[in-house]
Amino acid sequence: MAITVPTELPTRRSDQSQIDWVAYLFVAFFTLPFLLFNILPILFGAYLSFTKWGIFGAPKWIGWQNYIDAFQDEFVYIAFRNVLLYALIIVPSVVVLGLSFAIYVNQRWPLAGLVRVLFFSPYVVSATVIGLVWVWILDTQFGIVNSYLKAVGIGAIPWLTSMNWSLIGVSIASVWWDLGLAFILFLAALQDVPKDLYDAAEVDGASLWQRLWFVTLPQLRPVISMVITLQLIASLRIFSQVYVMTNGGPASSSSSVIYYIYSTAINRQLFGYSAAVSMMLFVVILVVTMAQRFLIRER
Amino acid sequence: MAADTVLAPEPLPLARRANRWLRRYNMQIADIPVWLLGLAFALLWAMPFVWMISTSLKYPEDVMTVDIEWFPRRVTFGNYAKMFTDYPVLRWALNSLIVVTASTAMCVGFGALAGYALARMRFPGSGLLFLLYVASLMVPIEVYIVPLLLAVTKLGWTDTYAALIFPTVGNVLSVFIFRQFFLNFPKDLEDAAKMDGASHLRIFWTIALPMARAPLIAATVIIFTLNWNNFLWPLLATFSEEMKVLPVGLAAFTPVLGTHTQLEGFALSMAGVTLLSMPSVLLFYFLQRYFIQGIASGAVRG
Repeated sequence: MAITVPTELPTRRSDQSQIDWVAYLFVAFFTLPFLLFNILPILFGAYLSFTKWGIFGAPKWIGWQNYIDAFQDEFVYIAFRNVLLYALIIVPSVVVLGLSFAIYVNQRWPLAGLVRVLFFSPYVVSATVIGLVWVWILDTQFGIVNSYLKAVGIGAIPWLTSMNWSLIGVSIASVWWDLGLAFILFLAALQDVPKDLYDAAEVDGASLWQRLWFVTLPQLRPVISMVITLQLIASLRIFSQVYVMTNGGPASSSSSVIYYIYSTAINRQLFGYSAAVSMMLFVVILVVTMAQRFLIRER
Repeated sequence: MAADTVLAPEPLPLARRANRWLRRYNMQIADIPVWLLGLAFALLWAMPFVWMISTSLKYPEDVMTVDIEWFPRRVTFGNYAKMFTDYPVLRWALNSLIVVTASTAMCVGFGALAGYALARMRFPGSGLLFLLYVASLMVPIEVYIVPLLLAVTKLGWTDTYAALIFPTVGNVLSVFIFRQFFLNFPKDLEDAAKMDGASHLRIFWTIALPMARAPLIAATVIIFTLNWNNFLWPLLATFSEEMKVLPVGLAAFTPVLGTHTQLEGFALSMAGVTLLSMPSVLLFYFLQRYFIQGIASGAVRG
């Protein structure tokens, strides 16, 4: 016989011999830093949240005390209230503007390619760029926004320096920064809407608005829900632009949960306590994520 | 001659030319106001960038004038020069470049290996590992950043390149991009190579990786940008001026900076952020397709 053909049927035994042991080497390179620097700190943080630990000595187990303290901490309340306010401003703005811009670009009218680049590009720059550019634009005395407001007879607004405005000022910058992601996700989803749905609606004499309301939006429901969740989580963990623009001030008026975690850990060295607040934020984020999964499945 | 009348193009009346133009873009006359409104919005959206670059090129006394100069009447590169001479911006940029290159190379290389293994190889625990990667997306880094800092301090890494590089390697986005690509990878090639007795490592290196150009570019572009823009971790992991990365160093460019007047400070800070935004904006502009593909596969911000 010139050629030997393996005739035996695959059995459980030969299945096992097909295990690619070298696969563990393949995944090891990535998994090692991943476990060390992404997973272990989560577990370490969960443990720390039940301890009291300053800069000296070892962590001391104190049970739920950090959580009890946190629930009575006025600044924890302010921080969570602020991130909800951020979400209340940023999420609807990003969804409405992002969807409108995406529908517009999807018409493929002249210059659509350029418009797409313009709407998306703020998303690719760093928080430092966003922060410093908007600190300049929103400057009370020299900012260009107030210059134009003055021209139409509105007095200077202290965008980043007053307790009533600082959260709004940071939100404006955040909408400009975050919109790109929502925009591009909406645009991708719009391009996946089956064309015959529109054709059918057009045959039935549906107007542009009717087509938008009865064809486009129902088709986009999953991506809208995803963008709302992503943006909600982004607002809950807002930090960098707050740090650069206002340092959480004045008087905590634009502070956020992460900002509070940062300041308790770095400025006051309350590591156990900051870990407890982190865990609380994590639970909130988990609930938001689960709620979205649940709502999607219900459909 | 008849041929002449056919060949000589009759000048189109303006209305007909406009009509043809509208039809080409599937537009109606009534759409034109909406089209213009959209363009106005796009222009408005670009204004912060225009104002940033414009300010960075102005003399301090021109930075804010009564008649707003969207484009500087006289241009100077003085702010850029001053930024480099008065502050260690060059050092920060160099730090950024070293850290981001090392971290991105490792993240993409290791991610390609892991993504390939998850997509093409059979081993106990592969499902569990993938689940762990996915689940980790639900825990944003901010939640565990303080314990991470404590651990890195314990290792004695604070204020070193190691602290800036290694904790940013495990970005699962990279694994997802490659896994998705290798799941759809033609099996015939792999089988043929296996027949020839090639090992997995050989197949990966000589067949799979050379064909994975698209995910390689997508992962590199997106991970590079995320790392280049990374703020919170480098802010915590370093404290000396020489070890800062560009976004952290520049973030301290507040309007009132040392002996500068407020307007000098603004011009200087706009020069700084123009420099900082260049790499990621250019990458995005020239590699849009890959960039968007990378984002769509994870829809996460690092």
